[in-house]
Amino acid sequence: MQAVLSLKKYIKPYMVFAIIAPLMMVLEVGMDLVQPTIMQHIIDYGIAQDNTSYIIKMFGLTVLCAFLGLLGGAVCSIYASKTAVNFAADIRQDLYETITYFSNSNKDHFTLGKLITNITSDVEMLQRALTMLLKVFVRGPLTFLGAIVIVFLTARELFPILLVVVPILAFSIYFFTKISGKLFLKVQEAVDAVNTRVQENLAGIRVIKAYNRKDHQIDQFRSVNEKLMKRNITADQIIGILMPLTAFVVNMGIIAALWMGAFKVENESIEVGVIIAFINYLMMIMGGLMSSSNVLMQIARAVPSAKRIVAVLEEKPEITNSESPVKSSIKGTVEFENVHFAYNKQNEAVLKNISFKVNSGETIGIIGMTGSGKSTIVNLIPRMYDTDQGLIKIDGRPIYQYDLETLRGEIGFAPQKATLFSRTIEENVKYGNDEATTEDLIEALESSCAYEFVEKLDEQEQYLITQGATNLSGGQKQRLAMARAFIRKPAILILDDTTSAVDSISEKRIQRAITENFKESTKFIVSSKISSIRHADQILVLEDGCIVGQGTHEELLETNTTYQDIVSTQLVRGGTLHE
Amino acid sequence: MNKPTGRQVGPPSLGRHPGPRFNGPAEKAKNQKATLLRIWSYLKNQRIGIVSSVFFVIVSSILSLIGPLFIGLIIDEHILKLDIDGTIRMVLILAAIYIISAVFTWLQTYVMIRVSQKTIQQLRQHLFEKFQSLPLSIFDKRQQGDLMSRMTNDVENLNAALSQSVIQIVSTILTVVGTGIAMFYLNWVLAVVTLLVIPIIVWSTKQIIKRSSKNFVMRQKDLGNLNGYIEETISNSNITTLFGKEMQTIEQFKKANEKLRASALSADIASGFLGPVNNFINNLGIALVIGVGALMVVGNVGVSIGVIASFVTYTRQFFRPINQLSNLLNTFQSAIAGAERVFEILDEQNEVADVPDAITKNHYDGEVEFRNVDFYYQKDKPVLKNISFRAKAGETIALVGPTGSGKTTIIQLLNRFYDAMSGEILIDGNEINQYKMENLRDHIGVVLQDTYLFSGTVRENIRYGKLDATDEEVERAAKIAYAHSFIKYLPQKYDTMLSSGGMNLSQGQRQLIAIARAIIEDPDILILDEATSSVDTMTEVQIQKGLNNLMQGRTSFVIAHRLKTIENADQILVIKDGAILEQGNHDKLMKNNGFYASLQQQLQVQ
Repeated sequence: MQAVLSLKKYIKPYMVFAIIAPLMMVLEVGMDLVQPTIMQHIIDYGIAQDNTSYIIKMFGLTVLCAFLGLLGGAVCSIYASKTAVNFAADIRQDLYETITYFSNSNKDHFTLGKLITNITSDVEMLQRALTMLLKVFVRGPLTFLGAIVIVFLTARELFPILLVVVPILAFSIYFFTKISGKLFLKVQEAVDAVNTRVQENLAGIRVIKAYNRKDHQIDQFRSVNEKLMKRNITADQIIGILMPLTAFVVNMGIIAALWMGAFKVENESIEVGVIIAFINYLMMIMGGLMSSSNVLMQIARAVPSAKRIVAVLEEKPEITNSESPVKSSIKGTVEFENVHFAYNKQNEAVLKNISFKVNSGETIGIIGMTGSGKSTIVNLIPRMYDTDQGLIKIDGRPIYQYDLETLRGEIGFAPQKATLFSRTIEENVKYGNDEATTEDLIEALESSCAYEFVEKLDEQEQYLITQGATNLSGGQKQRLAMARAFIRKPAILILDDTTSAVDSISEKRIQRAITENFKESTKFIVSSKISSIRHADQILVLEDGCIVGQGTHEELLETNTTYQDIVSTQLVRGGTLHE
Repeated sequence: MNKPTGRQVGPPSLGRHPGPRFNGPAEKAKNQKATLLRIWSYLKNQRIGIVSSVFFVIVSSILSLIGPLFIGLIIDEHILKLDIDGTIRMVLILAAIYIISAVFTWLQTYVMIRVSQKTIQQLRQHLFEKFQSLPLSIFDKRQQGDLMSRMTNDVENLNAALSQSVIQIVSTILTVVGTGIAMFYLNWVLAVVTLLVIPIIVWSTKQIIKRSSKNFVMRQKDLGNLNGYIEETISNSNITTLFGKEMQTIEQFKKANEKLRASALSADIASGFLGPVNNFINNLGIALVIGVGALMVVGNVGVSIGVIASFVTYTRQFFRPINQLSNLLNTFQSAIAGAERVFEILDEQNEVADVPDAITKNHYDGEVEFRNVDFYYQKDKPVLKNISFRAKAGETIALVGPTGSGKTTIIQLLNRFYDAMSGEILIDGNEINQYKMENLRDHIGVVLQDTYLFSGTVRENIRYGKLDATDEEVERAAKIAYAHSFIKYLPQKYDTMLSSGGMNLSQGQRQLIAIARAIIEDPDILILDEATSSVDTMTEVQIQKGLNNLMQGRTSFVIAHRLKTIENADQILVIKDGAILEQGNHDKLMKNNGFYASLQQQLQVQ
């Protein structure tokens, strides 16, 4: 509940709307409730006394009531929508901004998929619940309570019937609502199982065909599919009892009203119009109860969504600017002093006691096996994560003192996973530098050996990349991601294993371009291939998060056994031929 | 990677989002009649259920019509005449009617739910089995999300329609017609007065739906755009951070969000009128009945108080279904459209069927020959041109060439992922289409470039290569593939659960498991398509040893990028632009001094 309350501030700007909506709903419900009473008066006074003008007057009154009800309902609907839509849009905006400024560790904490669901379906769920709350939730209980009160006031003779019928109705609705929650949870599990199976089978269709496992897959699917069917049947059949049951209970109320009414009319304690009005109120009571329970379910389902949203909104970005960030320009001397780092603080450290220094303009190669911590080192430089212990300095100043924007603005980073956006090639590369000219663009593309394939495309730089860049090969993606880093002309250039899918000949051309075009920049090259780093001014050999060797190719070749091992496995002709 | 050319380029298709349950415009099916007939062919299996369900609906609808008639009758004939005994007698009959009505209503749902769920289950099963029988070209052509949504959204729409709408439409029609008859029977003047309201209902509902549909389409479009934007930017958010583009990204988001705010407001407000307007018309109808009815009672034209009571109840019964009808028809329409999309897939051609008397073998020697093989995805863009080569049993063939040259396609023809357009492919002297496809694939082991693992344990994933493999066999295969060394450090070792797509392992580790999976299959012909591309070199050398053991005595096709692996092959095929450029072993090709030699030399020059 705490979570829901902390979203209160998003309603505040629309508080007037949020108050008007239920108030107008009160008007609509009030008018609905008055109608049977007027009807009763028409029958018991107008007809009984043959009073035509009274009937016409009362008829006018009912029509007026109907119009007032329409007014109330319409205005309520407008303001409820206004409140809910604006509320949702504001939350969505705040959520998105919060997430955009999240550090990697924040994102790891929530996982990207959950964050996406949060901002899409959770917000939507909340919006729907709020609309319902403002519209129906007032309507249901109000109709229900109002009808009971009116019966008590105008048809007290028949009121005892309500004392029996209403508790039975309320209990059965409560009971079935509760059960249906449980049943549908089970159905949902079965639905998820079916969806996962289908999704996997679509994604892994090649493997299935290659291994000839069609029948195996079909058998597996049959069992989840049957389970889904069985659970659906059980759930629907049990819940299907509710409707006939409530109708039955209400109908029994009508029977009781007629029975009792007959005696009361005979001993002249009530008029016949009272019975007719009572029957109408009874139906309203049922309707009111049913719709309240529906809304309650909706709201109950929105509470977890609200909790998840609040958790995201309240998460503090882990990496922020220091109090007085330094915005001075960066030349590019990078120094690590006894750096320790672990992604998960309970687990073993990924980096242990890392110390090295690169001067601006130099190239440093980092090599090691998968999982040795190569990528982690370079991810610490733009503060994607912060160190647990030790210091990283750029131009002699600890990096946390720099303004984040300045720091990252001076770094050109091509990450291991070459992610591109669903825009044109030009837009993707210029993402690295808004002010880049067409010449800059072509230069960057040429440096990364991307121009050779871009040139051949019908649309050239205007070629539209699909979501997930499915219309490019792995090597093409890597080349474009490098071009995006190159176009920044950064003080520090970081290539995190960006040529794994690029053929050796192109790689060599890229290396040459980097040496020529980025003389001033400090260059970090992470790779598991000797050929990518052998010409570096300095090479770090990493094993299990520790530096086990440091020096030039020739030095390491003489002294370092790990390095010798790597070299011997890759030999002189260990190059790669194609992508 | 070898993808079919001509892949659609354009903005990502927007997933369908669970919009609010207002009145979205229903999608229309192209051929409603044919689709309906086909849905019926599925329902036919449940004929008894349907017939009895319809019977129950008819009975319960008629009973619910009799109820109000009785109420009026009791008031007029018994209560007003102070006839207590008569009242009790009639009330008991009414009670019986209500009991039967309740039982029948429940029975009808009970039966119909079975009918629809069984039908849906069958349809889902058919669709799934169809997925398994479709040729790969369909999966290239259609997006995975599209196929997925046919299995989920479309089938679900049909389910909703079958389990509720069908019965509701029947009962609505019965109720409306029955109520109409009952009202005319009671008093035609009052009936006409009541029916006067119907044109207003139809007109106003239509207006509202027309307006809200338009806004709804806008709203769905904006929502789709926004969600697409969210998905992409959040998935790629590390790029945003690295390049310091937070402000710009937020600015763009704001534009899309504001657009949605505006369109959502107009859509929600327009559709929100439906409720109050319907309520108003109901009230107006009842007011008319009471007003005119009361005047008629006073004017002594054959209307009694009981008739008014019956009419009020009927009026309530009459309008509710009419209000719902348009909603029902919408559900129904999108269900038919959904069913049509499902049938569209069911009508796709299956993978080629086996020829009659297809050959099955327990062992293939592994002699493979391509004779003038051509292949294309699109006629004007040939992928393979006149490919001919011969591999003797037990040989290792390396395929070399730039991206998109057609290497992967060649091996995909071998296990019949695709069929050649012209030319012949022979294994052990027979054309491959003479073999039973299942038998052939059982004896060809493949490690694909894009490794796919299923959700399940590590053990289950390795065992996928041989379903009846023992735990020891699994472990042995893992050791050969050098997967054992990391598996033993996993939290539950071989019983560690992998998430779908194997995302909690590194790409290299996934490849190792895929190799173990191929090893355990013990195939006669082995295909390795960049099997070790994501494994670091140290590990690769070790796996290579294992693979060398495995390749011993089996015909193997290897697409690799490490020159070392290629050098040792018995035969190297250099493929360029879909044709074989050079062919021979390493020494021969080096002597030829052609493309291959120039590649080698370029790499030598440091």
